[in-house]
Amino acid sequence: MIDADRLKILTNGAKYDVSCSSSGSGRRNAGGLGNAAPAGICHSFTPDGRCISLLKILLSNDCIYHCRYCVNRADSDIPRASATAEEICELTIAFYKRNYIEGLFLSSAVHVSPDRTMEEMVRAVKLLRTVYRFHGYIHLKGIPHADPALVREGAKYADRMSYNIELPSEKSLKLLAPQKTKQSLLLPMRELTAFRREGAERKKGHILPAGQTTQLIVGASPEPDGKILHLAQSLYDRVGLKRVYYSGYVPVVHDGLLPEKPAGALREHRLYQADWLLRFYGFTADELLSESENLAAEYDPKCAWALKNMHLFPVEINRCPAELLLRVPGIGMRGAKRILEARRYAVLRYEDLLRMRIVMKRAKHFITCDGKFFGAEKPARIRRSLVLQGAAENAEQLSLFSSPETALTSLTGEL
Amino acid sequence: MHFYLFDGTAQGFYTAAFLAYADEQAFLACENTQIGLNDMTMPVTNDKDKAERVLKKLREYDRAAEAEIDAVLRSHFSDRAQRAFLYLRLLVRRRGPVRRMHAEPAVEGALDAVRKVRGETHNMTGFLRFTETAGGVMYAPCSPDNDIIEYLFPHFKARFGAQPFVIHDLRREKACLYNGKDAALLPLGKTELVLSDDEETFKNLWRDYYAAVNIPERRRLRQMRGYMPVRYWKFLPEKQP
Repeated sequence: MIDADRLKILTNGAKYDVSCSSSGSGRRNAGGLGNAAPAGICHSFTPDGRCISLLKILLSNDCIYHCRYCVNRADSDIPRASATAEEICELTIAFYKRNYIEGLFLSSAVHVSPDRTMEEMVRAVKLLRTVYRFHGYIHLKGIPHADPALVREGAKYADRMSYNIELPSEKSLKLLAPQKTKQSLLLPMRELTAFRREGAERKKGHILPAGQTTQLIVGASPEPDGKILHLAQSLYDRVGLKRVYYSGYVPVVHDGLLPEKPAGALREHRLYQADWLLRFYGFTADELLSESENLAAEYDPKCAWALKNMHLFPVEINRCPAELLLRVPGIGMRGAKRILEARRYAVLRYEDLLRMRIVMKRAKHFITCDGKFFGAEKPARIRRSLVLQGAAENAEQLSLFSSPETALTSLTGEL
Repeated sequence: MHFYLFDGTAQGFYTAAFLAYADEQAFLACENTQIGLNDMTMPVTNDKDKAERVLKKLREYDRAAEAEIDAVLRSHFSDRAQRAFLYLRLLVRRRGPVRRMHAEPAVEGALDAVRKVRGETHNMTGFLRFTETAGGVMYAPCSPDNDIIEYLFPHFKARFGAQPFVIHDLRREKACLYNGKDAALLPLGKTELVLSDDEETFKNLWRDYYAAVNIPERRRLRQMRGYMPVRYWKFLPEKQP
């Protein structure tokens, strides 16, 4: 059985991988333990606000690579440890039986050689599926430069695989992760996509039912948000990835080539918001921003887009086509669906939208309800009411001596 | 208002719905409800035929609504029976599904409750924690806001295969028992457990894992509590010292 010390070391090395989702797979329990829930299940949340869905662990943290940003890099002065495939399987089963986790996220530092590492990881996953008869979720990390045959073997047993693209440009990759090349990351992704399609065509079981994801570090290198989002878009469109994760840089390693400051949670948040617009709302990266721009900090990307395109608004909520409805700030996927359904039965009014939980604080500036407009007339006022940070700055505890204007805002709630 | 007080069973609800159908002042509630001075109570005696007649119409007009009404009646809202009744009445009056009429207060009232119940069911599929007893049975205590252990059961049955397990709702003092083949729903009060030898070890490993996977540089306690409300913590080993 694995001991607490090694568990801590191996988890510490794995925790900077942000991917936590257990969604996308409908694997059934074929006699044994476990199945996968297509929507994914979060089992716990840590004080950093992230969810625990999978047992995220390294097979070994003893690395031969020198990626500058990584805690496990070869010249890092940290305790090293490894676990055997059997230990990993045993722990996964014990945790899964207690409903602590939804499955396993197996990763590893490059130990001895890429092939040796990948081989051991594939052995663990295969053991878990065949000997321990585990049918829960498995996310397997791909090791760059490993033999494609090994990668394909791993893909047969995993629900999802991922290669981390690490940095948004080849130049930064060369600088900060000298042993990894763009090709060593993109090529296996493409091969896995092809392998997956092949499996679907031959109907020989489902290969990687939850597809592939990747991750890149934001703020460790100078690329602007525009560059990152255009890259994400091409990964979705051309490589067929399910998700791109953005990891806001946290300075855990001190190195002359790395910035001293963290990227900030807001930048990461804005990137995720924009990513959702790409994947679900029918936006393209070009519409949101150019390659050299950054996302606005004060508005969310959808508001920022709408403010730049005020000539399209306001739209009439009772007639507006679905695609445009999705582009209204304050109306999300569910809100749009509800509006589309409800307006077949009745003409929707302002109160109806409130009851349907549309975020009218934002939406009211961009819509008319049965011909009536409830938003602000002047663009400057709209901007002011949409600024998110402004709300916190202007908020103030009232005293007897507060100015009458401030007192009024406390009555109307308007900031 | 006319209070139709029923015994809390599905049959009672549908009988009450039958009696109250044409009464615009009807308010359906379970028996131990506080009523006002000007209110009237209408007696409801369970009647199989009346309940069946309502159910037959309901199934004819909308096949998915029976499950929705079941969920509403399991919700924690004190006016759950009334919400279910208004939804049912609208559906029968319109002779067809109404779940897309979001602008209708009766629909949103009922579907809000459905969302609450199904949402908590989904959350509990993650937050439920099993402990291994010496006999090899996995035991999970919980006290959810809504009455959902019957909804949780199929999820774990599909997942655990032949593994026997118990899901125990401490608040409502009942439990789903499964021996690997057959299932039963029984009233169950306090229980004494004898844990297996490994239980403490794995519980501690899990606590170590939980502490290690956190990134201390990013503190977002509010977000954590938002996703995992504090009332669920008492059954989570990682949140117990």
